[in-house]
Amino acid sequence: MYNSSFKKMIESLKEISEVIKYKELLRNLISRDIKVRYKRSVLGFLWVMLNPLLMMLILSMVFSGLFNVSTKNYAVYLLSGIILWNFFAQGTSASILSFIGNNELIKKVYLPKAIFPLSVILSAMIHFFFSLIPLFIILFITGTPISSQIFMLPVVIIMVVLFSFGISLIVSSLTVFFHDTKYIYEVLLLAWMYATPIFYPESIVPQKYAFILHLNPFYYFMDTFRVALYMDGPYLSERLLYGFLFAFVALIAGWFFYNRYKDRVVYYL
Amino acid sequence: MVNEVTINMSGISVKYRLAKEKPETLQEYFINRVKGKRMEYKDFWALKDINLQLRKGETLGIIGHNGAGKSTLLKVIAGVLKSVKGDITVHGSIAPLIELSAGFDMELTGKENIYLNASILGFSRKEIDRKFNAIVEFAELSEFVYSPLKSYSSGMVSRLGFSIATEVNPDILIIDEILAVGDEAFKRKSEERILGFKKTETTILFVSHDMKDVRKLCDNVLWLDHGMSRMYGDSELVTNEYQKP
Repeated sequence: MYNSSFKKMIESLKEISEVIKYKELLRNLISRDIKVRYKRSVLGFLWVMLNPLLMMLILSMVFSGLFNVSTKNYAVYLLSGIILWNFFAQGTSASILSFIGNNELIKKVYLPKAIFPLSVILSAMIHFFFSLIPLFIILFITGTPISSQIFMLPVVIIMVVLFSFGISLIVSSLTVFFHDTKYIYEVLLLAWMYATPIFYPESIVPQKYAFILHLNPFYYFMDTFRVALYMDGPYLSERLLYGFLFAFVALIAGWFFYNRYKDRVVYYL
Repeated sequence: MVNEVTINMSGISVKYRLAKEKPETLQEYFINRVKGKRMEYKDFWALKDINLQLRKGETLGIIGHNGAGKSTLLKVIAGVLKSVKGDITVHGSIAPLIELSAGFDMELTGKENIYLNASILGFSRKEIDRKFNAIVEFAELSEFVYSPLKSYSSGMVSRLGFSIATEVNPDILIIDEILAVGDEAFKRKSEERILGFKKTETTILFVSHDMKDVRKLCDNVLWLDHGMSRMYGDSELVTNEYQKP
């Protein structure tokens, strides 16, 4: 009993070194995703930047009557929320089919399978970087000063990458065994999005519902992201620590889940 | 001087678990759990207690009827499937000549696909850089290497796949029925290359239904029948036994 779980721990660690060994494949998968996505569209990668901007414009027109009074720099608040959420939501959604979509390969050649959801999340991170450009443009246009804690930005990004990777490992493994995972996850994301202060400020949430926010990992990610960008607030806050906690729990849970079922995946592909 | 062992298998068994009523959705799974319904399984043993030892430079043929477990055995060696019982140790890099175009992306160029496919086999950028020209030359695709793969004919795609898998000089080469690809001229070239591997220290595993090819290429042959090792020995002997009505 003890022996087999010890063996499993060792295997989980070995799997990490396997993923590192295949870093060239990781690089090729990411560059393929980026090339294929942008080769076809006329606007190319401009669309990555335009899409959140357009969404922000529409939403801010709708909500400016409601929230503008209470939220300073609503345009920046909204846009920062949108692009960070999109990174997570689109990244994890895209990763759901990463095992099924690569079933031909997985059934024929040995690969550390985690490399597929990892490449999806890292590609999503690159798209996120592109979408930061319009955000900085809006910051400049609205005359919003950049926070002195801007150096925390990479820290926040790493947190969200780790969290997203953990989640992606779980959903992509689950989908292989249960085909309705995709649909259930999409509904979950929708509810999750409304539970995150993306287009509404934290202040409008009534006290009795505040606990929902406090249980939401993205509440912490959003806050630290906005503080790093432009909002006032200390960087070594409680929220940053909670954010890291959630990120590591998701990563470790995801990694163990993936390792537990990775050998069975090939039978269901 | 006995050569080093590259593949060592003892007691290898592979089981496919066929659940009689497998819940295919999360919904069903939770409903079953709530109802306290137990899942019933039926086990199908694709491989039973296989013992095998292969050395450097050895070429093993694997024959048997459809469903005997040949591909399953290759997959265990390639690391695609895990055996439920027994131990297996493999020393060296593996290149499977199993449907060569599995790793290709039609939108990417020949060059990009070479890097992609070789990295799928576990090779580093430096190793691929070194081998790049040789790969392109052997496949006879130097004019087309910057064109997208979707503009290639199927023969060209197969040639590229074959070239990549063999140029990277694996320690263990796994050939699942595809001995030679392309037109007559390329077929001859690819056969030559495989025969060339025999002279080196490469371990070759060859699954085929063509007894002529098996006898030509292999030293020893393993005859699999319903997942079990029915006969193992000299290729002439075993193939002749197999062909008896």
